[in-house]
Amino acid sequence: MYRLSKLRFGFPIGLFLLLLLDGSISQSFSVQLFRYPSAMVSHLVVLWLVCGAIFEADQGEAYPMPLAVWAAIAGAVFDLYYTGIFGVYVFVFPVVIYVTRRLVLYIRPNFLSGLLIYFIDITIVEALGYLASRAIHLTTMSGSSFLVNTLGPTLAFNLAMFVILYFPIRWVYNWLK
Amino acid sequence: MQKFSFNRRLVIIIVCLIVSFALMTVSVTIRNKKSTPPLIQQFGNDIVGLVDRVVAFPANGLSGSVSSISELLNTYQENQQLKQQVSELAQTKVRDQTLAKENKQLKQELKLNASLTDYTAVSAAVITRTPSSWQNQVVINKGAAAGVKKNMPVMSGSGLIGRIAEVNKTNSKVELITDNNDSANRFAVQITTKSGTTVNGVLSGYKSTTGQVTMDNITTKAKLSKGDKVVTSGLGGVTPKGLYVGTVAKASGSDYGLATKLYITPATDLSSLNVVTVAVTKQ
Repeated sequence: MYRLSKLRFGFPIGLFLLLLLDGSISQSFSVQLFRYPSAMVSHLVVLWLVCGAIFEADQGEAYPMPLAVWAAIAGAVFDLYYTGIFGVYVFVFPVVIYVTRRLVLYIRPNFLSGLLIYFIDITIVEALGYLASRAIHLTTMSGSSFLVNTLGPTLAFNLAMFVILYFPIRWVYNWLK
Repeated sequence: MQKFSFNRRLVIIIVCLIVSFALMTVSVTIRNKKSTPPLIQQFGNDIVGLVDRVVAFPANGLSGSVSSISELLNTYQENQQLKQQVSELAQTKVRDQTLAKENKQLKQELKLNASLTDYTAVSAAVITRTPSSWQNQVVINKGAAAGVKKNMPVMSGSGLIGRIAEVNKTNSKVELITDNNDSANRFAVQITTKSGTTVNGVLSGYKSTTGQVTMDNITTKAKLSKGDKVVTSGLGGVTPKGLYVGTVAKASGSDYGLATKLYITPATDLSSLNVVTVAVTKQ
């Protein structure tokens, strides 16, 4: 039962830890990650959310988690603390949860199909973030240079992170359960 | 029934889009107009900043130790070069002190209390960086409590790196000059050419492919050459005079061929920032 498990407290703690780690990774490895003009953006918090949705589907009905609510809260903190523009990721993160939940209905989630789902999710996060930034004149980057300089490297980095962290995160979920 | 649920979903999506755009517009307006964000946002950011310091401390410490090991390898060569520079610098520093003292006395005689060059430096550590590819922002651990105000210039190493974009009680956000949005890098600067004429202008953007800051719409006839130093001019606002920005790398015709466009190499490596200095001016 979700209501009685350690996951109830463990999930948000992990969520905020990874949210803050995103910033720390960007800061510590800024020389390697932001090699102008290309930029790799770390999205560990999305990884945690997507893994939550995948393992929730794995467990069946016993562990329905309030993922969308936590995604919105994480998005709100992301908006206020990191970007200062409220109203972007507070909607994007729940959309990611929605899309992942729809996808795991059709694709039985395992490591490889999880990689595929995560690919789609990161594309959604980056594309919606880009469109929002274009709309409010935060960036003047053209669509083609967004694809080449931001989306490509970001996908590469985050998929590598998925490969490295999928089994550790699954272990954490199973331990918290 | 199927049709009804489809319509409802469409309505939800549209409402979400409208709310999202409204929120974004409001926060951009607040960011541009007000000197501090709303109280709730400030409070939230202060709490998250406190937690982040706990998380960031081991992470930054780890990367610090890694980089110090790699730096150890070319220390010997650097040491040789730096020794020479230090002996030159000592001379400049003494002269600088004498001049500053003389300047102060002269100002007292003229009863000038605060001129454009006066500022106090508040040094701060970088807590974290925005994980985003277009918002080049860092969060520093000094805020309104330390006298930091919005739009103050921020330096690191030898040169200007950006300006304060948002101030909370105990932390604030710095927009770097590599950020290409509408307001990030508009600093009033001046260049003194080799022949002694002063050229004024405003920084206008950042060219990410070469890592150079651009300065557009210069209509002077003075000949600008490579290596000329660019400093802030102190005109129009809170930026004090004489903060080093960088050196001229290239001068070319602007996009429409009427004026000159300058490419400036920033004085500081903007990709690795650990400690920054906020220039606090009397306002």
